[in-house]
Amino acid sequence: MTTADDARLGIQEDSHLAMQGTIEALTTGDGSEPVVVNLGPQHPSTHGVFRLKVTLDGEIVQDAEMRIGYLHRSMEKLAEERTYTQNIPFTDRIDYLAAMSNNLAYCLAAEELLGIKVPPRAQAIRVMFAELQRVASHAMANGTFINDCGAWHTPLFYMFRDRERVLDMFEMTCGARLTTNYMRIGGVAFDLPDELLPTLESFLADMPDRIADYEALLMENEILHARARGVGVISPEMAINSSLSGPVLRATGVPWDLRKANPYCGYENYEFDVPVGEQGDCFDRFLVRMAEVKQSLKILRQVIDNLPDGPWLADVPLHARPEPGEAYARVESPRGELGFYLVSDGGPAPYRFHCRPPSLINLTALKEMSIGGTLADAIVTLGSIDIVVGEIDR
Amino acid sequence: MTANYDVTAAMEIVNASAPGAACVDDGILFLEPERLVESVQSLRDSEESDLVFLSNLTAVDQELHFEVVYHLQSLDLNHILQIKARVTDREDPAVPSLTGLYQGAHLQEREVYDLFGIRFEGHPDLRRMFLWDGFPGYPLRKDFLQMPGQVRAGLPGFPHESEENAWPVPGSVPQRPMHPNDPQPEGDLVVAEESEESS
Repeated sequence: MTTADDARLGIQEDSHLAMQGTIEALTTGDGSEPVVVNLGPQHPSTHGVFRLKVTLDGEIVQDAEMRIGYLHRSMEKLAEERTYTQNIPFTDRIDYLAAMSNNLAYCLAAEELLGIKVPPRAQAIRVMFAELQRVASHAMANGTFINDCGAWHTPLFYMFRDRERVLDMFEMTCGARLTTNYMRIGGVAFDLPDELLPTLESFLADMPDRIADYEALLMENEILHARARGVGVISPEMAINSSLSGPVLRATGVPWDLRKANPYCGYENYEFDVPVGEQGDCFDRFLVRMAEVKQSLKILRQVIDNLPDGPWLADVPLHARPEPGEAYARVESPRGELGFYLVSDGGPAPYRFHCRPPSLINLTALKEMSIGGTLADAIVTLGSIDIVVGEIDR
Repeated sequence: MTANYDVTAAMEIVNASAPGAACVDDGILFLEPERLVESVQSLRDSEESDLVFLSNLTAVDQELHFEVVYHLQSLDLNHILQIKARVTDREDPAVPSLTGLYQGAHLQEREVYDLFGIRFEGHPDLRRMFLWDGFPGYPLRKDFLQMPGQVRAGLPGFPHESEENAWPVPGSVPQRPMHPNDPQPEGDLVVAEESEESS
């Protein structure tokens, strides 16, 4: 390009020189200036409207700062103007990939406030759907994680195939696939339809072969090992100090699972193991999620075999006014420790409605995990944390 | 099952290192905001309490004061303890930051700052998180979006419980203008006959 062209386009001569200087500094890595790159908010590997502002020295991440709030819907404020039952649909939209788990956590907190005992059949149905949701959510998490590692869409759509079958079961039970609004204070909204148990039986019959296929496809995959092993490592001490939970914490070797530590809905009656990792890297998080799907199928088998009869919803007044007080109930959601903290002043709506979002708190360690690695590794790390932006921003 | 850690035992642990910093009121452990960091540190480092995991951090606007609520968890001993700190200054509320003890407080304190306006002194990066700089007010305070004549924002009662909110309020449903095709209250037959005759 000639100088005349530059003048016509309004480009000053020295900006050329500055740009050239930056490129030289980047390539030599000597006396360089760091470059700030915005990842997102519209980027496929940020899994939603999430912006990561990374400062790069060459290809090495020097600093990673997240900018969030693009999906902030002010749910905690809105919930203060709606009754306890009217707030259940909000919980679907907090973590839209694990609506059942969010319904469950909120209903447990409201039941603690109201002092309601849930019938045994409702508890078994709740466990069934919480575990189906875990299978669906981990399928999505692992599929997109492998996508971030570079295996474009093939494993993702294999795993979507399984997720689709779970969503079909949700649809036949409560009419919705994503935002289910199925749990109620005191039980669940509807009893199981006749066609659900045969569908679930065939799903449980097919899944072991499917998982064996995925393991054959992925476990020894050299590209996956190269991209995920030793990337985004965090120590167990740091993970506990950063309040990490779920597969991210268990991948570091800490066997902390609320289903074992603080059983709810009768989880103490089911036999299952808590898979843990060793290294605390991205690959271990992937392995923990794959192993958790197997444990969920094991729980589902036990739920079907011991499904009690009886009512599926306790006798709860429609216009419930809890006594003044507070409740903090937690469940092990697919993403980690999901808690709801409710404060009642004796009114018809919660005085304070707070969600402890595992996606947001798991991001505390993102900076720690990505500094010193390459930009491509930061994307793999972000994928392995398994965030849902609806839950981060609420 | 996760047990609730005994608040009296927790108060003794705190008062051993920071005398008078803790008190129990109605089964809830309150810590003095000025000595929060050393109090929580003694609970974290003591072998009996071992509260190494900050499970949850949030705040409640109690209209006259703010309550900052902490849920601390021991993973080995499997018990949980709820702690509260009262902040009475509504104009410039501030409590010490726990980021020096728990990295997990980092984003949760920023969230409380963003939505309640409570400053966490010593936080390394205290900026608004969900809302933008310069957003007017702090949305989760009870006087934000308070309607005229209302004591505070929120749902005062179920609609069927008060006469004001009773639905439908007589005269509150707007009447749409009459259309020739609408069924007439009286004399519609006459209108129809007239139209048939005219056509």
